[in-house]
Amino acid sequence: MKELIFYRRLIRINLLSALEYKGWWMMVLQVLLTVAADPVGTVLLFSRFGSIGVWSMERILLVYSLSVTSYGLAEGFLRGFDYFPWHILRTGNFDRLMLRPRSLFTQVAAHFFHIHRFARPAAGLAVIFWCLARQSAALGPRNVLLLVSALAGGALIYTGIFLLSSGIAFYSIRVLDFFNLTFAGHQVSRIPVDHMPRLLRGMFTFLLPMLVVSYYPASVLCGWGEALWKGLLALPVGALFFGLSLLVWRGGVRHYQSTGS
Amino acid sequence: MKRTLRACLSLFRIRAAESLQYRLAALSGAVVSIVWTLIEVTVYIVFYTYAEGRANFSLTLGQVIAYSWVKELLYALLVFNIDDEIRGKIISGDVGVELCRPLDLYWHWFAKSSAGRVGTLTFRSGAVLLAGILIPGQYGMTLPASLPGFLLFLLSVGCAFLLCSAFGALVSAVRLGITWGDGPTYMLILLGHVLSGGYLPLQLWPDFIQTALLYQPFAGMIDIPARLYVGSAAPAEAVPFLLVQIGWSAVFVAVGRLVMSRRLKNVIVQGG
Repeated sequence: MKELIFYRRLIRINLLSALEYKGWWMMVLQVLLTVAADPVGTVLLFSRFGSIGVWSMERILLVYSLSVTSYGLAEGFLRGFDYFPWHILRTGNFDRLMLRPRSLFTQVAAHFFHIHRFARPAAGLAVIFWCLARQSAALGPRNVLLLVSALAGGALIYTGIFLLSSGIAFYSIRVLDFFNLTFAGHQVSRIPVDHMPRLLRGMFTFLLPMLVVSYYPASVLCGWGEALWKGLLALPVGALFFGLSLLVWRGGVRHYQSTGS
Repeated sequence: MKRTLRACLSLFRIRAAESLQYRLAALSGAVVSIVWTLIEVTVYIVFYTYAEGRANFSLTLGQVIAYSWVKELLYALLVFNIDDEIRGKIISGDVGVELCRPLDLYWHWFAKSSAGRVGTLTFRSGAVLLAGILIPGQYGMTLPASLPGFLLFLLSVGCAFLLCSAFGALVSAVRLGITWGDGPTYMLILLGHVLSGGYLPLQLWPDFIQTALLYQPFAGMIDIPARLYVGSAAPAEAVPFLLVQIGWSAVFVAVGRLVMSRRLKNVIVQGG
């Protein structure tokens, strides 16, 4: 609880300082544009080629937007981890964080906060609802539960990826592009699952469980034929992934030797 | 002039050597690039094999796949991002120190940000190229369409490097307007990203904007070299393409210098 209040305070300070720049609204605009530009490739492909069997543009966009929205949520609330290797670790600032009697996780997470990061989940949610409406999926209690579990599970997985890359950064000091695997996760959601090579499907189900938080919930939501329990797996799997990543992060902290001067 | 050139050359060497240091980072970048490309290739294969309207296009499947690999090779060159070091200097106020140096700031930063690309370029692109060649069958990279096409491709890559460096320097100059924050910079970068063909080969965009797409500045970053490689543009057509690249580089340099000199007139140096 104390940590939550502390987190809110840090976020508030960050927010206020960001609003001092007169270009801050341009950043909101910029992220909205990025989000809008992201699926441009997919949309143009569909307009050239038409649907792939039962896989219409709405289907692909739904899977894709689920993955993007949960990523946006993780990024919005835990921005600090995104910047961690470069701005905190390499500069030696991490030493200062360790001296404070507060949890390292909260301090790092709230070290940066950018209001414009919430443009992504907002736009993502709009696309999700548009796709659901286009496929006439009703928003009953079951579906709301599915949607919330998918987004929460997804956010946990992306947080886990941030943690993993931050944890590894203790050893490598420089930010590893490993983190960009999240974008590969978005990219993978552009392939219709029926036509996905087995290797890719296995990898993004069991190793990096992106499909568990995007495709399966989407399939149950719109009735494409996956079993209900698979759709509900999102949250537990996300929690598991998060837990494992937390272990790596802890290991990293224990290994830490100062980089500062 | 000669002194500036020599200073910039050594800056270039230092920075390039530094960016070669972090081999692990470069390697992990390469792995991600390869995975990324394979996924993208799969998307194209699925569309070309199963989609309803498989009409005749300006690009065959083989060409699109080769395009994806070439794009990934060139990606390091572009690093659509403002150089971290320069951005840090602007934010921390070290830009004041930079101004004290007896060196033209524009060319100083031009050398630095272009050198930052070299390290990733050699390492990462090397690994990606190796993977592209080794990966068998449909997914791998095909040979260039023709030998003259390939030579022109290399020439065009050189021009693309110039173009991207000039664009990078322009972006840094824009970032000097510190009260605006990162917004305008990132918008420029995004624009370059989409219009260079990084999202989808420009030839697969709607037909009615093709000409405009070809002559806009960003086509020269990825699309033009890639076209020459995959042979969707004949070697005979190459001269205007190269001119487009060089012309836009000159424009970017001119605009970048203009923006920078205007920004420097009332530059804000942060810190205390």
